[in-house]
Amino acid sequence: MVNPLGSEQEAFRFLLWVAGLVAVVVAVVLIVRAL
Amino acid sequence: MESGAAALGGVPAEHDHHHEHHGPPEANQSSRVEAQFLGMLLFIISEVMLFGAFFTAYFFVRVVGDAAWPAEGDHLPVVIAGVNTAILISSSFTMHWALEGARNENRAALRVGLLTTALLGLTFLVIQINEYVHIGFAPADHAQGTIFYGLTGLHGAHVFVGLTLLTFATIRAFRGHFTAKEHRGVEVPGIYWHFVDVMWIVVYATIYIL
Repeated sequence: MVNPLGSEQEAFRFLLWVAGLVAVVVAVVLIVRAL
Repeated sequence: MESGAAALGGVPAEHDHHHEHHGPPEANQSSRVEAQFLGMLLFIISEVMLFGAFFTAYFFVRVVGDAAWPAEGDHLPVVIAGVNTAILISSSFTMHWALEGARNENRAALRVGLLTTALLGLTFLVIQINEYVHIGFAPADHAQGTIFYGLTGLHGAHVFVGLTLLTFATIRAFRGHFTAKEHRGVEVPGIYWHFVDVMWIVVYATIYIL
């Protein structure tokens, strides 16, 4: 499991993970709203 | 071979070594985490709670209060803020590049990476200030305005703090500090910078898009 406070590398991987997750959530919400 | 004192039946060598210690005793360390890291960890955890309080106000107005977002007649510059988001996220990549440079003794990558990160962060702040100037509503106009300026301003303040840390790290890098083994002065600001970027991704998605 990624610990974003463990090291810079883990924080960077966490950032990418959050960016992907937020992109998916936003896409789902926008699609649901459009339906 | 034992020391002379131990060989003569006196104080063992290790005790002899302690006896030679001068000055104050070493500081007690009750955690496996280094004090510098622990300080940044506790600081970031408290920051998450601070942002959480602001997001609570945001969701209260939108979900409980069922208020329009943005307020009627207002317009949020989604595209410009999106470009600004890309600028900030790219600064995390340059920050990571700088750290890899430090780890691999690549001083050019360390210096250029840190300098680029700072310049990208500064660009983000300038664009955000320009957005405030042209957005057309003030914090006192309505609850939405208060929350918008509160959340984006809180984040902007964190970018400013991150830029301050990056400035010191960049100056040190150009002065020849940091090695493959000792680069805490870059790593800790790096963790903070990625945290600031993570928070912006959440702020941008909730404030501008959703």
